[in-house]
Amino acid sequence: MTYLFIILYAITLIYFALSERTKKFVWLLAIQGLILFGVVFFSLNKIDIFDFIFILLETIVVKTLVVPWFLNKVRKHNQLKREHEPYVPVFYSIIVVVIILIISFMLSNYLNDSQMHTQYFTIAFTSIIFGGYFIMIHKNLFSNVVGYLIIENGIFLLSLAVGSIMPIMVNLAILLDVFMGVLILGLFINRVGDTFKSVKTEHLSKLKD
Amino acid sequence: MMSLFFILITAPFFVGIILKVKAKFAARKLPSILQPFYDVARLFKKGAIYSTTTSFIFKIAPLVYFVSVLMAALFIPIGSLKGFLSFNADFVYFAYLLAFGKFMMIIAAMDTGSSFEGMGANREALYSMLIEPAFFILIASLALFTDNNSFYGLFLNLHISTNLSYILGLAAIYVLMYIAMIENSRSPIDDAKTHLELTMVHEVMVLDNSGFDLALIHIATWIKFSIYGTLISNFIIQNEWPLALQIGSFFFVQMAFAGVVGLLESFRARNKLEKNPQWIIMLSAIAIVLFLTTLIITQKIILY
Repeated sequence: MTYLFIILYAITLIYFALSERTKKFVWLLAIQGLILFGVVFFSLNKIDIFDFIFILLETIVVKTLVVPWFLNKVRKHNQLKREHEPYVPVFYSIIVVVIILIISFMLSNYLNDSQMHTQYFTIAFTSIIFGGYFIMIHKNLFSNVVGYLIIENGIFLLSLAVGSIMPIMVNLAILLDVFMGVLILGLFINRVGDTFKSVKTEHLSKLKD
Repeated sequence: MMSLFFILITAPFFVGIILKVKAKFAARKLPSILQPFYDVARLFKKGAIYSTTTSFIFKIAPLVYFVSVLMAALFIPIGSLKGFLSFNADFVYFAYLLAFGKFMMIIAAMDTGSSFEGMGANREALYSMLIEPAFFILIASLALFTDNNSFYGLFLNLHISTNLSYILGLAAIYVLMYIAMIENSRSPIDDAKTHLELTMVHEVMVLDNSGFDLALIHIATWIKFSIYGTLISNFIIQNEWPLALQIGSFFFVQMAFAGVVGLLESFRARNKLEKNPQWIIMLSAIAIVLFLTTLIITQKIILY
């Protein structure tokens, strides 16, 4: 059953490469949150019930509802609609995401180790690399936050890969990271948007103290 | 033999159903389901007019296109009904038959010497080229999954029964449906009803064809739709079902497919022309994900 969610997750990454509207990014992040909920629900049921419920709530409340809601607010505040021409044409981005996917599949086939759940590793690796690529190709601060969240989802999956338990401390740390990251970056985007009337990264090079 | 008969029977009604669904959602007066018949019958009564700049290629192209599509229909099985012809790797032959017909149409469009038609031919060639990997990767995954390499054996051994094969079936239907839309120059990449030559893809290629030739091209489009509808229906029909049920569900899936095409055409906006290539390559990307899924199912790649 976890395979099903892993494949759906891979398809969301392809749609990330394809879409050019910020609204779609937010929707895709919410869908990824739901997929992570499914992964946790079907694979982590051997752990302590309190931890289990905590992680489930984290995926469904934080990743699926709160973060997309907050990003949507930021999006509306800055009147973002369409991502302007990314540095790399979308056509090539799709090819890149497929290549990353194939490489990570081959890598996990090579790494096959009984200590590690390579099925999660595959998609976690893809997600982390693709998140970095996503940040690189977009000129827009908002999309950079989205890329950061894709990396974060990858790290969440990676923590599933190294063991079937998920230590609550690690989990809390990731959660705090996300909250601070999204909140601060959200406020930052709003300030930049208010000052420069646009949220392109090139404005940041003009900043002076 | 039976399957060819059923494919040819459903073909003429395909466009009629699409037109009916579109008219329904646009709140127009519904055309008769036989309207495409009347159009083609009227065209058959007319003689063809040929431009003086064209050569014999322009004259034979519609006929070759029609015959290539008709021949491609020979290979398609329905459930446990065998196609008229079947041999190993016949899907490659099938794909290149369709490609050959399309090639003839493209050079015929170039033959007229019209810049608009050249432009349309250009676009058609690009889209066909981009959609080809999606079709081949999809069928190759199915071949790997069922350990068979003819259309008949492939669909006969396709047992969609576990979680992962459900996603294989669903995604394959999704990809095939859009391949059908692109091959027939329909909604997301082309608009069959557009009236501006600059934005046309397929329509501008056949601007010079008239009368008998145009009728042949229309009929070939019907058959093409029916072929892809049959391929989709094979994912749903199980070969253990009694024959009557198989044929019944074949007709049902064909009608549902025509309805879905009509729905998509009514509600989906057409892509920007420059966004078409990336949208088509996305289908190939999904096909590659399907291929990786198949590798997992068949345990060619074992992940713990």
